[in-house]
Amino acid sequence: MKGKKKTTTQNDVEEAPSPSEKLPSPVVSDYDSESDSDYEDSSADDDESSDSLDSLSESDLDDASPRNDTSGDLEPAENELSQDEDVANDEDSKSDGSDLHQEGAESDSSEDEVAPRNTIGEVPLKWYEDEPHIGYDIKGKKIKKKEKQDKLDSFLANVDDSKNWRKIYDEYNDETIELTKDEIKLVRRLLKNKAPHSDFDPYQDYVDWFKWDDAKHPLSNAPEPKRRFIPSKWEAKKVVKYVRAIRNGYNPFDKPKEDDGPYLLWGDDSGSTEKANYLAYIPAPKQKLPGHDESYNPPLEYIPTQEEINSYQLMFEEDRPKFIPKRFTSMRSIPAYENAMKDCFERCLDLYLCPRVRKKRLNIDPESLKPKLPSRKELKPYPITCYIEYKGHEDAVTSISVEASGQWMASGSSDGTVRIWEVETGRCLRRWEVGEAVNCVAWNPLPDIHILAVSVGQDVLLLNTGLGDEEEQKRIKDLLWVDSTIASDDSGNKTPSVSWLKDDKLMGLRLRHFKTVTAVEWHRKGDYFSTMMPAGESRAVLIHQLSKKLTQKLPFKLHGLAVRSTFHPSRSIFFVCTKKSVRVYDLLKTKIIKKLDTGLREASSIAVHPGGDNLIVGSKEGKMCWFDMDLSSKPYKILKCHPKDINNVIFHRSYPLFASCSDDCTAYVFHGMVYADLNQNPLIVPLEILRGHSSSNGRGILDCKFHPRQPWLFTAGADKLIKLYCH
Amino acid sequence: MAEESGEGSSRRLQVRFVTKLDAPFKVPAAAIAIPTDLSRFGLSSLVNALLQSNNADFEPEPFDFLIDGEFVRMSLEQFLLAKGISAERILEIEYIRAVTPRKEEDPSLHDDWVSAVDGSSSRFFMTGCYDGLGRVWIGAGLCTHILEGHSDAITSVCIINPEGMETVTVATASKDQTLRLWKLNTEEPVNHPMRVGAYKILRGHKSSVQSVAAETSGEMVCSASWDCTINLWQTSDFNAEDDLVSKKRKVGGQVEESQVEGEAFTTLVGHTQCVSSVVWPQREFIYSASWDHSIRRWDVETGKNLTDIVLNCLDIGGEASSLIAAGGSDPVLRIWDPRKPGTSAPVFQFASHTSWVSACKWHDSSSFHLLSSSYDGKVMLWDLRTAWPLSIIESHSDKVLSADWWKSDSVISGGADSKLCISSEIPLVR
Repeated sequence: MKGKKKTTTQNDVEEAPSPSEKLPSPVVSDYDSESDSDYEDSSADDDESSDSLDSLSESDLDDASPRNDTSGDLEPAENELSQDEDVANDEDSKSDGSDLHQEGAESDSSEDEVAPRNTIGEVPLKWYEDEPHIGYDIKGKKIKKKEKQDKLDSFLANVDDSKNWRKIYDEYNDETIELTKDEIKLVRRLLKNKAPHSDFDPYQDYVDWFKWDDAKHPLSNAPEPKRRFIPSKWEAKKVVKYVRAIRNGYNPFDKPKEDDGPYLLWGDDSGSTEKANYLAYIPAPKQKLPGHDESYNPPLEYIPTQEEINSYQLMFEEDRPKFIPKRFTSMRSIPAYENAMKDCFERCLDLYLCPRVRKKRLNIDPESLKPKLPSRKELKPYPITCYIEYKGHEDAVTSISVEASGQWMASGSSDGTVRIWEVETGRCLRRWEVGEAVNCVAWNPLPDIHILAVSVGQDVLLLNTGLGDEEEQKRIKDLLWVDSTIASDDSGNKTPSVSWLKDDKLMGLRLRHFKTVTAVEWHRKGDYFSTMMPAGESRAVLIHQLSKKLTQKLPFKLHGLAVRSTFHPSRSIFFVCTKKSVRVYDLLKTKIIKKLDTGLREASSIAVHPGGDNLIVGSKEGKMCWFDMDLSSKPYKILKCHPKDINNVIFHRSYPLFASCSDDCTAYVFHGMVYADLNQNPLIVPLEILRGHSSSNGRGILDCKFHPRQPWLFTAGADKLIKLYCH
Repeated sequence: MAEESGEGSSRRLQVRFVTKLDAPFKVPAAAIAIPTDLSRFGLSSLVNALLQSNNADFEPEPFDFLIDGEFVRMSLEQFLLAKGISAERILEIEYIRAVTPRKEEDPSLHDDWVSAVDGSSSRFFMTGCYDGLGRVWIGAGLCTHILEGHSDAITSVCIINPEGMETVTVATASKDQTLRLWKLNTEEPVNHPMRVGAYKILRGHKSSVQSVAAETSGEMVCSASWDCTINLWQTSDFNAEDDLVSKKRKVGGQVEESQVEGEAFTTLVGHTQCVSSVVWPQREFIYSASWDHSIRRWDVETGKNLTDIVLNCLDIGGEASSLIAAGGSDPVLRIWDPRKPGTSAPVFQFASHTSWVSACKWHDSSSFHLLSSSYDGKVMLWDLRTAWPLSIIESHSDKVLSADWWKSDSVISGGADSKLCISSEIPLVR
């Protein structure tokens, strides 16, 4: 105890002059505001005890760098210091209290007064690390760095000067400072986590300033809650997590700090705020930045002339420019902005009242929505240009039919004639006067039976075209011979629907019906043919057999007004097209197979694909429906291409083509590929619009037929012409 | 004259006119300066002016001009620009007499469409007509023989031995599914057309016969038909008794004439559609064109699918008689070289017509020239060296169905206006 007391007293004695020492040197206090009188203790010790100095110098020799020394050097002094720690602080604190107060006041004031000698400003020094200068003075001149000592020089300095270890290089001011003993002492105390001043008492007696009596609310006297002193489980978890992470080779604390990058002054700040809170915050739109024209002294080209200002008055009010640039000689002469209040008010209204809605916009390229169709060039050949015209009819050509081999073509016209043309040259080969307007012509599909079925008014004529050699002619004549005495069919009780008559004038047969016949269609084997009488009610569709001269009506009830009928290209199936629907009948089993709902107002024509599973129906409103009978009873595709009535639709027999012709004087040619693979839907590509016919009495193209072997299309127009479109 | 008119108006060009023509057509070889905006007509009148200045009684004559072997068909300036020829040096322009008919003879009127012509004999030519009659002519309007017998339109005619001395044999094909062979004596002078009957009827086709061609020696003919076949027939009548059925037939009850019915010697099957045209240029080969878009060479049955158009006409000729010219259901006249390996693309395409090409014929002596006729009513003369027609003959008012060279300086053509037109005096460089 005594020894300790001594030291303290010694301390006190030595302490006394310290303020006097410190006062005249405000410079020192600048560098280290925490400069302490306690330091002098050790420094005094250093001076007195030579052995400690020796040890210091030795350690200095060991590690040459002067900066690192301080910590190492201070170690031997620790023992002494730690000795007095326990007692000295407790007991001396009171006595030293006043002193402390003084010192604190002094050091505070001194800090404020001293101006920084360095003029480079608050600039990170690393910017100039590799530069010869440290920064710039107020005039913008470079402030040079002092030359640095190299290691050898510093070692020599250490050896020469025993006090060299106290020297510290101050990078910021670029100078070397020699620490005083006080300062070193202070540093040592700090390193030991003690209060810098030895006379500071951290454990002062508690003065209870609180008035415990007359308090309105009682203070809680509850014991400390448990959670205050139980280690947090959450923290433990977190620590475990970190430990695991570190064990797994990932150091969560090693993350390199991300550079923020430049701050975008005018950047859109919506993105960061959006991320920050999950509510769909929509930032208010920013105001437009002022440009050159808002300047008080804009360039001359921004200033409108008087004429322009006058013209603004003529403009609609909303289109008028809001601001007219003006020129002022100085800022002083700018008048107050008259709309300032109004603008602010409106801006506020905008911000508060305008509802801001996030618009969900689909980013779809409209081109990508188009179906991918092969180009037309790949789908050649198809009819493109008209090269041959068949002239001769004196009225609208209502119907055409091409012979099976493709050498001849027959046509019927409203002028009451039927003509046969040579396809190749356009020469009219034969001509029959039938007396009445022809509704339909149909060539027998067999190449060796040159018989033409013509529907004229209420009659169907079977004409011998006279082609073919003698044997064929003989057979045809046999076919077209009927015993005039048995000139009726075997339908029995009622009036016969059809009577088979001989027509000597035209060298053929005449089938007299009881109503107007609009269409004639041959079966593929050339023996049967069907006739269509839309007004015939239950007997609207009749099927005739040429070899036996028999007629029978369709053994089904027809629903609606029948328009067209056709045979299946390979099976014994019969299609009847009524105004609204298509019915598919099996002729062998005599039952209905399917009913296809067209959804059209009035169907006008029907064609069956040579494969037999697809058919197209044309309508009077210009729509064409493609049915895939395997798919459904609804149309697979509806093509709306003609502005007027479609008169006929037709499939090509061998090429994947189909066509439609209409009263708008155009014929459309389509590529219609039907795949053998059932999984693949038919491919329909529009190919060509064939023009060339002219309108007559509101009618355009009345019929179209494909050449049986070439990709050519014949069109019969109301303008008395037949045209051949070739590829 | 032309020089003065172009004075100062445009750029000028140093040219020298050269020619392979003989004395009356030669101009002085000196270089002269001419304006560059002259076209063929301007050049032609310039050369005529030069010739007339040398020789006062020179008849004006149309010329055609070649620069570096190509015909000038635009103004000189454009031509030089297109070909990248410098205008600085002296340009050599070769001139030849323009290949264009100088004379249009009066059309010979027929009763119906003229569907076939053949001018392979220099003494006469033949026409086939839709009224079923064949006619033999020795000049414009001079009909010597009428070939009677077909019951339907004649589609093709062929002179079997064109240089036969007294009697020549001809063949006709018709839509009545038969061919007929005729013997004519062309030497004896006739005042009025003589009616002739066929000496042999060739039956066997099942559909209309479209084309007939004779072998070079004249012993055989081949015929193409709508029934997709080509039949070969023998023309001789004397050995008919041995293997062919012969019949005596009364014609009209007045003259008893021997008519032999022939059967096909052999049938070539392969085309899938109508065979529209057939030629027999050499003994070994028959070429045929068909509506199935192919041209075939029949010796060892090789079929070539050359094009995707329907072919109407075909001829073999040109360089070494091996180029194939064909036209069909589009306005393009195409020329193939079958010797070119690995390709079936045409070597030349001439597309000045506006409708189907109905006939094409090579000139029999010049390997560059050929003619084509089209449904647009025009006959065009072509030179392989230029893409433009040398000359367009527009004498028909309707479709031209057939055309041929005659006497190597005339073009005969028959059309749907029932006219037979002869355009003569066409100078061809040999």
